[in-house]
Amino acid sequence: MIEIRNLSKVFGEHTVVDGISLTIKKGTVFGFLGPNGAGKTTTIKMLVGLDKPSSGTVRIGGKDPTEYHTRESIGFMPEMPSFYDHLTGYEFLAFCGDLFHAKDKSRNHYLNILKRVGMFEAKDEMIKNYSKGMKQRIAFAQAIVNDPDHLFLDEPLDGLDPIGRRELKRIIKSLSEEGKTIFFNSHILFDTEELCDEIGILNRGSIIYSGPIKDFTKGRQLEEQFVASIEKLS
Amino acid sequence: MNSIFLQNVFTIAKNTFKETVRNKILYGILAFALVYMLFTLFLGSISLGEDLHVIRSLGLAGIYVFSVIITVFLGSSLLYREIERKTLYFVLSKPVSHAHLILGKFFGLLASVAVSMAGMAVIYLSLVAFEGGGFDSLALLSILYQLFEMALLIALTIFFSTFSMPLISTLYAVLVIYIGHSLDLLMNAVAKSGVFVQVLVKGIYYLLPNLAKFDIRNLVTYDTHIALSQVFFVIAYAVVYIVVLLSMAIFLFEQREL
Repeated sequence: MIEIRNLSKVFGEHTVVDGISLTIKKGTVFGFLGPNGAGKTTTIKMLVGLDKPSSGTVRIGGKDPTEYHTRESIGFMPEMPSFYDHLTGYEFLAFCGDLFHAKDKSRNHYLNILKRVGMFEAKDEMIKNYSKGMKQRIAFAQAIVNDPDHLFLDEPLDGLDPIGRRELKRIIKSLSEEGKTIFFNSHILFDTEELCDEIGILNRGSIIYSGPIKDFTKGRQLEEQFVASIEKLS
Repeated sequence: MNSIFLQNVFTIAKNTFKETVRNKILYGILAFALVYMLFTLFLGSISLGEDLHVIRSLGLAGIYVFSVIITVFLGSSLLYREIERKTLYFVLSKPVSHAHLILGKFFGLLASVAVSMAGMAVIYLSLVAFEGGGFDSLALLSILYQLFEMALLIALTIFFSTFSMPLISTLYAVLVIYIGHSLDLLMNAVAKSGVFVQVLVKGIYYLLPNLAKFDIRNLVTYDTHIALSQVFFVIAYAVVYIVVLLSMAIFLFEQREL
């Protein structure tokens, strides 16, 4: 379970995240939506322990993610990831996997993950030679290398072609079926509608809706309802 | 120190080592070093019977200069690049602390610099042996001293890169190297100055590392005996400085918004 209570982040005099609270049950696929600059990435960085909140609390499976031991059960894929250019895809995945403890670190385990994300053939190529879509896939691979209970994805479908998007959505669905809790930021609302059980909508640092998609859309398309809600507030 | 700590530091160090030794610029610098070392043979041959002395003196100086270039060049961008390119998101979102990352980076780069120095040392020893100087074991002690100085410089560049850009870190590092090798001269120069200047220079003397302590190249080229106690003192001096610098780097890095 992911529990967020009165979470805020202030940079100087600018409040980026303003006292948000959410409870996401185990096994839920949760889409975190909002216009550019709404505070989605700042929120997700606090959820995975990369940033400390200015106030409020985050609990992942009952534990504080700023304590580094908590992150044993967390997987995170950053937005527009950059990589260590001089490593191959396999070396990068093994490096990420080796940072977890009491997890499977065998070569077979890493190769299976590479197969799962469709990167097996390119495993020995330098990452600097990968296409944007391949980089997205390898970033996704490192997020699931520890078989996490909680998976945080920041714009995971960005830069993928339709086939890549279909593949990644298939993996997200299968992870959901395995009981993983998945929290992802996205601005591709069509995919969000297809994948999520629940959504949260963030606007200027505040939550304007959280709950099941159906209760939000009320029979309309998610994108249509989303745009209408944001425009109503601006 | 638990096993998680050691495992994380080792994993990050291994990755840093791979990244740095695959950097083409490193090989460019090492190629220059090789050309320079071979050039000392020529300089030795035109030195009127002082061949070996010239090769030893310039060879050890070359190893030092090229090691400094490698250390400052790679060290000043080591942490900054992680922050700027956000590759550290991959690392710090895992069960890894800021201290693990800093220490892993330190030991990874130190390993790369040590391997580079070992390569240059092999060339140097071969040249000395080729010129009839036999196995120059004292030179190894000088190179060990230089390695500890490089370790200190790596800690220094990592410390600078927690709050400044690579170019600024490089300038700071070059400044510290220059002043660090001139501290004794500086103290002597202000011996007859006013109290304020003396206090100021004394402050600098105790704050900045006295890098002249790591320079035994002249002693080595003249085959002067070096006491074991002095070796231990210099190593301890470097270790204390490195621990302080890395502790400050970890503290500053933890305060930084990523």
